Amino acid sequence: MHLDPFELHRPTSLDATVQLAGELAGRFDYLAGGTDLLPNYKMHINLRPHLIALDSVPELHGHSLGHLGAMERLADLERDAALRDAFPVLADALGEVATPLVRASGTVGGNLLVETRCFFFNQSYFWRASLGFCLKADGDRCHVVPQKERCYATFSGDLAPALLALDAEVEVAGPSGRRRMPLGALYDAGGDGIRRTKLDPGDVVVAVHLAERSRGLQGRYKKLRVRPSYDFPELGVAVAGRWDKDGRVDRLRLAMGGAESYPRRFDELTDALAGEKLSEERVRTLGEDIARLVRPVHNTFLLPDYRRRMVSVYVRRAIAEAREGRAG
Amino acid sequence: MAATERPSYRLVGQRIPYVEGPLKVTGRAEYTDDIRRPGMLVARLLRSPWPHARLRSIDTSVARALPGVFAVLTGEKYPTPFGVLPITHDETAIAVGKARYNGDIIAAVAAKDEVTAEAALALIHVEVDPLPEYSDPRMGLSRVEEPIHARSLNGTNIQKEVVQHFGDVDAAFAQAAESIRVRGTFAGVTHAFTEPLATIAEATPDGRLTVWSATQVPHYLHRSLSEVLGIPMHRIRVIKPEVGGGFGGKSDPLPHEIVCAALSIETGRPVKLLVDREDVFYTNHGRHPTQNDVRIAVDAHGRILAYDIEALIDGGAWSSFGTVTTYYNGVLSMGPYRVPNFRYKGRRVYTNRPPSGAMRAHGGTNIRYSVELALDMLAEKLRIDPFDLRVRNALPPNSTTINEFRITSTSFLKCLAAAREKSGWDSKFGHLPYGKGIGLGCGFYISGSNSPIHFTPKMPQSTVHLKVDMDGGIAVHSMQADIGQGSNTLLAVIVAEVLGVDLERVHVQRVDTDVSPVDLGSYSSRVTFMMGNAARAAAEQLRTPLLVAAGELLGQPVESLEVAHERIQVRGEPGTGVSFMDALHKAMEQVGALTASGSYNTTPKGGTFKGARAGTAPAYSFAAYVATVDVDVETGEYHVEKIWAAFDCGRALNRLAVEGQIEGSIHMGLGQVMGESMNYRGARLFNASLLEYKIPTPEQMPEVEILLVGDDDPEGPFGAKEAGEGPLIATLPAVGNALYDAIGVRFTELPITPDRVLRGLDLRKKEGRPWKGS
Amino acid sequence: MSSPDLLRFQLNGHPVETPCEASRILLDLLREDLLLTGTKRGCDLGTCGCCTVLLDGRPTLSCLSLARLAEGHEVTTIEGLSPPQGLSPVQQAFVQHGATQCGFCTPGFVVTATALLRENPRPTHDEVVRAISGNLCRCTGYTKIIEAIEAVARGEA
Repeated sequence: MHLDPFELHRPTSLDATVQLAGELAGRFDYLAGGTDLLPNYKMHINLRPHLIALDSVPELHGHSLGHLGAMERLADLERDAALRDAFPVLADALGEVATPLVRASGTVGGNLLVETRCFFFNQSYFWRASLGFCLKADGDRCHVVPQKERCYATFSGDLAPALLALDAEVEVAGPSGRRRMPLGALYDAGGDGIRRTKLDPGDVVVAVHLAERSRGLQGRYKKLRVRPSYDFPELGVAVAGRWDKDGRVDRLRLAMGGAESYPRRFDELTDALAGEKLSEERVRTLGEDIARLVRPVHNTFLLPDYRRRMVSVYVRRAIAEAREGRAG
Repeated sequence: MAATERPSYRLVGQRIPYVEGPLKVTGRAEYTDDIRRPGMLVARLLRSPWPHARLRSIDTSVARALPGVFAVLTGEKYPTPFGVLPITHDETAIAVGKARYNGDIIAAVAAKDEVTAEAALALIHVEVDPLPEYSDPRMGLSRVEEPIHARSLNGTNIQKEVVQHFGDVDAAFAQAAESIRVRGTFAGVTHAFTEPLATIAEATPDGRLTVWSATQVPHYLHRSLSEVLGIPMHRIRVIKPEVGGGFGGKSDPLPHEIVCAALSIETGRPVKLLVDREDVFYTNHGRHPTQNDVRIAVDAHGRILAYDIEALIDGGAWSSFGTVTTYYNGVLSMGPYRVPNFRYKGRRVYTNRPPSGAMRAHGGTNIRYSVELALDMLAEKLRIDPFDLRVRNALPPNSTTINEFRITSTSFLKCLAAAREKSGWDSKFGHLPYGKGIGLGCGFYISGSNSPIHFTPKMPQSTVHLKVDMDGGIAVHSMQADIGQGSNTLLAVIVAEVLGVDLERVHVQRVDTDVSPVDLGSYSSRVTFMMGNAARAAAEQLRTPLLVAAGELLGQPVESLEVAHERIQVRGEPGTGVSFMDALHKAMEQVGALTASGSYNTTPKGGTFKGARAGTAPAYSFAAYVATVDVDVETGEYHVEKIWAAFDCGRALNRLAVEGQIEGSIHMGLGQVMGESMNYRGARLFNASLLEYKIPTPEQMPEVEILLVGDDDPEGPFGAKEAGEGPLIATLPAVGNALYDAIGVRFTELPITPDRVLRGLDLRKKEGRPWKGS
Repeated sequence: MSSPDLLRFQLNGHPVETPCEASRILLDLLREDLLLTGTKRGCDLGTCGCCTVLLDGRPTLSCLSLARLAEGHEVTTIEGLSPPQGLSPVQQAFVQHGATQCGFCTPGFVVTATALLRENPRPTHDEVVRAISGNLCRCTGYTKIIEAIEAVARGEA
């Protein structure tokens, strides 16, 4: 299956990348692992005439307990025992992405920025032309929520919830230099669903930074999907926190993906739990409160009612398993 | 065979690795897409974006003019209809007059490369009048505005209606002690073989046409090519390369195969047509979406008095095997139990969806699920153990069913006994903690369709030719199609067994209609039984001159000789004898290379009423499976932990292959239970991909314990019966009944997805009926 | 677009040089340009694993790899894992255990299994299952594939 022609650029430094991105603004896509971009390109979804491959940019590679380069392959991170021990919730999430073959090529940056997904969008050109194109690609209406002019495609990455739960920061390089922001600030939750991040044209994600105080946090990522492999999350709940010997939790962080168009945390609900023992009742209430805030739509295999119902189950289990230190 | 000792053989019955194994594990086995022909063009198909539309005009002029385009074809060039069944030739290679589903082929291009071919497709201009879309088979039962096919019944969309009544069903229900009704709803599923459809065609200046294709039925393809293209069969040569799985999805002659050949004729060049994965889903021919309505009446001891069955079958846009499907969905319920009264009304309705056809355990799967659930429900009502209920109703060997199926060998009782014992049923059924369950499901399937699809000319169902020359290699020619099930290996094993030679001496030749004698192909699980018998006959014929030659060399009468390992010797005297090669060379002295021919044909079976032949077979396989499941009652997810698979295939000729078929069948059956479904919204297919069509992953496979307990069949080769499709059937009800034992919910809609499990649990809770102390 | 540049990479232990357009997919390059048809095309979208090759020793989906990005790297296909005579231990085990039926998924599994056993010669059952969880098989139900891999791990090949 061929791809439509494009020009392939392979910059060998971050500066060259940013410069190139500025020149080609709006006319290019970054190519990281290719496991998300290339299927969409083969299906003629939102093609660009230029690809900027990031595989030869040294500043994007490398990882330590403090940072994960954007081009680090998920399979490499999976193999790092020290990383797994320091960040259990991340270890869980890494192991849940797609299949081992996808993880061999897939990258941190690619997974954070994975294209949102929807039945009406992730289809071949023939299928979409048959039914009518959608808002997200070549069309002007959403087939899922017809009255709206917003895209409801589902955020389908596994790493984001885990890294949000770890209070990760993301480092971005752009024409005006490098900057850092909390990972949550990267996603444009108030946007139209088509523009999904707050990145400017010309920006490139450099790395994810993990604070030392996040090391050793107990954590768990639980992924709802139809099959134990291949499938994207139809709900992904990440929990991280530190429990003391009396069972009190210090600053619980809970993040979710696979439910709506953006991954998000629920600090407004979990901050209040700091120092608490988290009784069964308390956790049940938390789960129900979160479920009320979440509105999945019918653009994935499992029905939205079912996914919503699983929110409180997954919240409860993620917290319980994180507390017990149960491994994935 | 109880009284006499069961014969044992040197090769037959052992675990024999497949003969093409070394080529497959090194990537050297040649599939259709691996073949290249000089000057080969690339074909692409334009598929209809409309589910139902009259094709007013198709303008190909701009496409034709594109540099690098060699031909553009539309339907009127080859309008002769074809189809796998002679009585329902309703398909055309390219749509003529109208498109009948979103995916129907409406034009075809041959160009110098893929890019050019696709560019040409985009330049074809099609004008249509949209027609009403029919996606609910119920709507098709009455008159419709625009029938999908003119030939359907009385202006409806009904393709086939079958009505049968044996005995007196109403009287039986009137006297029944208990009765039950199950309405089953089954989503369509599809084969999803890993090798996509592919064809290469090469018309040559000598007036011949060679076609290589990923097919299970080279012979039927051969016939259809001739019919549609208007070329005598002998000028067409069909070659079957290695095929990467079929399961019934390559057992029709398919439109793209004929289109590819037509493009080669038009261009005078070889043409390759690859059907990409999405289009494989649109080609479909998978298991029909079905609704069945099953009522069963029993006496106070649980003996079956009557079945009353209705089936509504969603056929999609073409007939394919549909007439047979319509029969099978009723008549294949006639085993493994004795049914004294039987009524069936089955209707297959055209819809504007990708056509359904034959898929592994065709017609015998969905009805089996509903019947097995119904029997379990009756067992519960009568407080009889499900196993005991089955035993009481088992078809006896050498009996005739009420619709005149001839039952010969059956080891069904042994299957039940083995599954019951090995699974520890008695200590587990009803005793496992809430959320865990154990269930029984049984199976029954044909060992080949007794009637060939084409009745003329009269000929055997299978013929095998052998040739052996001075080098001692035995060439085997047959048109049977190895699609991964190991039929080539089986052929070699049988020949080697009869002749006493090493397996490596036997070389099964690639299927080539120029050279291979007709075998009807791999469908209806006919190959082991029919090809096996033909192979045995051929080998026995080849053996004769060898025995005669050995007799001359040894100065012994032929009757005193026996075939041993690479030798022919005086019976019971291993020290004597001559080598195979010496006997061969002697036998060849006057005639040169030795040849032999063996064939097998079924004898007429069944009644004389309309449709009597459907479901008749020279033998049947039987199964009893026990499954254990573990349900997460909060999420509705479940895991099938283990399946004890007791199967009666008579004698397993190659134990390795039989095990492989059982394991693979269980995987496929499990898929239909757990999550495989062709997801339609109206006429549109939403999940034409291997990501969204949920084939189970290795983590989802249960542990499988295989119990092969069949006795030799009197007519099967070395006592063998089928093991290619039957093993799938019992999987579904075993899991369905296990789920009931686990959580008290009877699932009558497949697939059983987590949300449906929760809905079932909610309902139980609402009804205030706790299950197993939940 | 200008004429394709030459792509240079290590293929099955030998240097290879071949014209390659920017948009060329590695699977297509291998099968169509280099005529190495052992690697199979099952879906073209990374959803079946039939196209698995080793990229710098790592099992990778060649249908989702741009050929140009193989520049400077090492690609190993099923052909490169097959000895000049006979079969590798993994291949032999697949044959003996009936782990290959139609054989179309087999090259992908052999590549994945070989890489697994190189990195982890004594995998647990769960590790084997996990390692093959990106390779789809429709014929075997995976049972004999897992048996074959475990047999090699036990040294029984």
